[in-house]
Amino acid sequence: MILFQNVNKDYNGRPALSNLNLHIGKGEFAFLVGPSGAGKSTMMRLLYREELPNSGQIFMGGVNLNKLPTYQVPRLRRRLGIIFQDYKLLPKQTVFNNVAYVLRALGVDEKNVEKRVISALSVVNIESKKNAYPTELSGGEQQRVGIARAIVNGPPVLLADEPTGNLDPTTSLEIVQLLAEISQRGTTVLIATHDEPIVNALRKRVIALNAGQIVTDVDSGVYELKGNS
Amino acid sequence: MRIFRIIYRVVVESLIGLKQSGWSNWFVISILATALILFGFIMQVTLTLKTLVNSWGSQLEISVYLKDSCKPYPEAQKIGAMKGVEQVLVIPKEEAWQKMRKSFSVAYVDNPLPNTLHIKLKSPTYVEQLAPIIKAMQEVENVRYPLKVARIINQIRRFVEIGGLFVMLAMSAATLIVIGNTIQLVIQSKQREIEILSLMGVSHFYIKGPFILQGILYGTSSALIASGLIAIVNLNCEKYVKLQLAYLAPSLTNNLEFGLTPIYLMLFGLGIAVGATGGAITSGRFIKL
Repeated sequence: MILFQNVNKDYNGRPALSNLNLHIGKGEFAFLVGPSGAGKSTMMRLLYREELPNSGQIFMGGVNLNKLPTYQVPRLRRRLGIIFQDYKLLPKQTVFNNVAYVLRALGVDEKNVEKRVISALSVVNIESKKNAYPTELSGGEQQRVGIARAIVNGPPVLLADEPTGNLDPTTSLEIVQLLAEISQRGTTVLIATHDEPIVNALRKRVIALNAGQIVTDVDSGVYELKGNS
Repeated sequence: MRIFRIIYRVVVESLIGLKQSGWSNWFVISILATALILFGFIMQVTLTLKTLVNSWGSQLEISVYLKDSCKPYPEAQKIGAMKGVEQVLVIPKEEAWQKMRKSFSVAYVDNPLPNTLHIKLKSPTYVEQLAPIIKAMQEVENVRYPLKVARIINQIRRFVEIGGLFVMLAMSAATLIVIGNTIQLVIQSKQREIEILSLMGVSHFYIKGPFILQGILYGTSSALIASGLIAIVNLNCEKYVKLQLAYLAPSLTNNLEFGLTPIYLMLFGLGIAVGATGGAITSGRFIKL
């Protein structure tokens, strides 16, 4: 589903990713761990084509992202669900409208919008707060809304960049378990995080990055950066 | 149906943008409307002058005033033999004087009028060719022909056109800047929505469309105001202008009619073009997708 081949990326000569090779299969759940500046967010940005690598190839569902023309980037992103650390919710819109906003922009008819939004909200267990505003919700609830928005279009891949960064440990675990449940339905999930407890609790595939290079890649792994797990 | 729903949402988003802009809308519209009003009046003046020139230019006639020492009929024969001359009409000075005295109460003085020849030509191309030759003849005191006047009017028209164009361009540039600033503020206030839409794979058309449409709405509103004002001015001034012209040049009043539709179309075309360009430049510059 996701393939990095000899990918290099630098910012003004400072390397962010060096000769990176990685494959994540369809329906897989993986943590991308590493300290700040390891290159996790750079990998995420490359995946949703916010940036291009300096060299190497990146494939998403068989599509070479390097060769993807700019006008087709929206089509790629419709096949991705992106979850952010700061939730990126619209404060003046209700929970329902936050999730419906993108569907409406994509031209989905109102009947289907309602059906799909309610379904997404029930997956993340926040259906009862559909008329609330984001400011009335806790951090965990806001992140659930963010996840509902990411999955409402039924994407085959979910990318989460530090989804638990603003949450307490208990809520963080709930959110990651929710993402694991979504993955069991066939969605490929890649979570960039440096939240050690949640990585260790789930025992899923762990890809550790340090200074732009993969130092470990272990199935059922724990948070470990030195390559000896 | 999907595309119609998207277009509907684009319209809704641009109306939200207009609402967010508040008083800035009126600032943009008033500047653009002023530019368009100026453009409309310049167009009207140049069209009027053009019609006037065409009207006079189509009178293919040269008036020749002879010296008192010269006899008109032999001169008429001489000129009549020239290439391009269709007919020469002799107006002896006595006849002209009598007509004048009939029309106006003129005091008993010596006849001051010259013998006059009205030369009708086969084509307007002969006017400027023959006029200098005739003027150079020894017996000729002076020569007048409408094309000479037409040429002066044409020069004035060109001056108005070029000057007006410069003023118009300057005003359009100013309008583009104001539209740009207004739309930039809306873009800034919608930065979060734009980022979300872009990351969720919403098309560039949907994201940038509302800002371009906002510019188009500015252009349309400004053109509507400018057209309305020009129509009101025309409705009230047309009679007065015709009345004044009737004293000065009675034969011209019927030839000065021209439709205002091309002016209105130009105003809407220009207004929409300036508005859309402002919206497109600003959204292209400040929205990075």
